[in-house]
Order: sequence, then C-alpha cells, then structure tokens
Amino acid sequence: MSDLTNINFDTMTVAEFETYLPDLFATGGGKVSEDPRFAKFLAANPDCAALVSDLETIAEYAQSMFEEPVHEPSDTVWSNIATKLKEGIGGEEDGLNGTENLATE
Amino acid sequence: MGTQGVITMQQKPNSGLFKRNPPIAGEADAIERAKNGDPDAFSKLYALHKRRVYTLCLRMLGNVSEAEDMTQEAFLHLFRKLGSFRGESAFSTWLHRLTVNLVLMHLRKKGLQLVSLEETINPSEEDAPKRDFGSRDPQLAGSVDRVTLERAVASLPPGYRMVFVLHDVEGFEHNEIATMLECSTGNSKSQLHKARLKLRELLRQPEKLTPLEGLKEVAL
Repeated sequence: MSDLTNINFDTMTVAEFETYLPDLFATGGGKVSEDPRFAKFLAANPDCAALVSDLETIAEYAQSMFEEPVHEPSDTVWSNIATKLKEGIGGEEDGLNGTENLATE
Repeated sequence: MGTQGVITMQQKPNSGLFKRNPPIAGEADAIERAKNGDPDAFSKLYALHKRRVYTLCLRMLGNVSEAEDMTQEAFLHLFRKLGSFRGESAFSTWLHRLTVNLVLMHLRKKGLQLVSLEETINPSEEDAPKRDFGSRDPQLAGSVDRVTLERAVASLPPGYRMVFVLHDVEGFEHNEIATMLECSTGNSKSQLHKARLKLRELLRQPEKLTPLEGLKEVAL
C-alpha cells in the first residue's frame, strides 16, 4: 500500500489520489471529506470529491446493515437444530473437525 | 467541501450505533440458563440472534440454502461451546466471530482458496470496478435505499463481498480480516476499496440489479 508520509496532498494528481485512496480511507477513520489535508485538492477536483462523498455514504450506510438484519431463516432451521439437540448430536462435533478454536473471546 | 456525491441514501444510519452491541434484554439470563442446559433458554438465544447470524451467513455466502445450513451449524456449535463464553466480549460479537470462522472454514472445505485473496478470488476484468471516476449524475440522488444496497452487495464478486461485509457491515478491522482470510492487511484494504467502487457503479444503475430471490425478509 502507499506511503502517505511525504505526499503533498495539495499538488497530487488525480491518478495519485486514486492510488492513495484506499489508504486514505483506512488511516483517516473513513472520513476523507472531513480531513483538512485534502480540502484544497477536493475543492479543485469535484469529481474526486463526488467519489469520496459516495464512498463515504456507502460505508456509512453499510453500518446500518449490521443493525437491521433484514433476512430471516426458514422455520426448518430451528426444527433441524431442535431435532439434533434432542438426539444429542449437538453435543458432539458431528463432522466439524478442527473447530475448537472458532469461538474465542 | 461543497461538492456532493451522486449517491444520497434516503435515510442515513446512526453511525454512533456501529460496532456497539448493547446488551439485549434477557440475553444474559438466557446465556446462564442455557449454559446449565435449559432448552428454553437456548431457544431464546436462537430467537434473539437468528436474524443477524443468518443475514451474516447469507451476505458472506450469497446462497439461501448454504446460509441456512451454516446458521444451523453456527447454533449447534454455539450449543457446544457456550460454556466457554466468559462474557469478556459482547455475546453477539463472540457469536459473529464464531459464525464468520465457520463460514470461512466451510468455504475452504469447498475448495475456495482464501489464502491468496488477490490471486484466487479477485474478480475478472469484467467484474472489477471501472477505473474512471465517472461523472456526477443528479438523477441518482436520493434513489438508493436499503433494499437496493442489499441487492448491490449481493451482486458483488465473492472476494469483494467478503471483505466489504466483514469490514463495513460487521466492523472487523483490516488486521483481523487479514488474519481470518490469511492475506495481507494491504490486500484487505485494496479489496475493500474495490468493493466500494464496484458498489458505487452498481448503485448508479440500480435497474440492472437482480432481485434477491428466495429470501424471507423481515418486516421492518
């Protein structure tokens, strides 16, 4: 990934901006549009500003997908689970070898 | 910054909710009772978490049948491992991590090599996002809603979808994703960025998105 330490963000090209963007998002807390280092560049490049705005909107809205799960499993899923638990299968590894460390805190 | 992007969601989420898993009423009691073998308590835990676990599986797998199978496996695994939950993290965080690891193990068993994300599940040129920024299109403003975003995510190539769901939806950090997918953090960042670019493309042409067939959606 890019080394952002010695970059002049005011004079970078659009191509350079495109290259740096994944790291800018990753290191800037996801809010490139609010970072004063990029204000001049984004003001001079409205398409880049629009891109940043859209990507931030997508990332922001994705968060609500976690809060509001929209899908529900069919009733069969619980029926199968309940059956297996009654049969005592739920207490065995039933083919899930190597899963001992899946549930770590 | 005065320039507005072309995509304006109809209802902005409350970003302050992200990554927080507030205790659910009755959850702690149900956990303790389920640890002691109370079947009704385990049933309650299933009822409380089935939607999130299933939705996570579905978003990662993109397939209803596999998502239901993995939901079943996740809760059976939960039943086995519940005794090891010490409450050091939120229960839902713990359950989601367990589920993610089960799904990844399932994918590896299917032969999907996640070791080298870039080489093995990088999409074809056709599926990759376009390299141009595109122009601002005011016609799209306000046209994207939750269902459309859900469809767009489902339309992503598997590698992009996996990283997007793990990072932007589930809130895992790049270093955690890198560990889970056995790739570099740089790779995770790159895949996430490409995923968002691809989503932007898809959301600009929502009419081309296919409906989510066979899904039972919760009335919100």
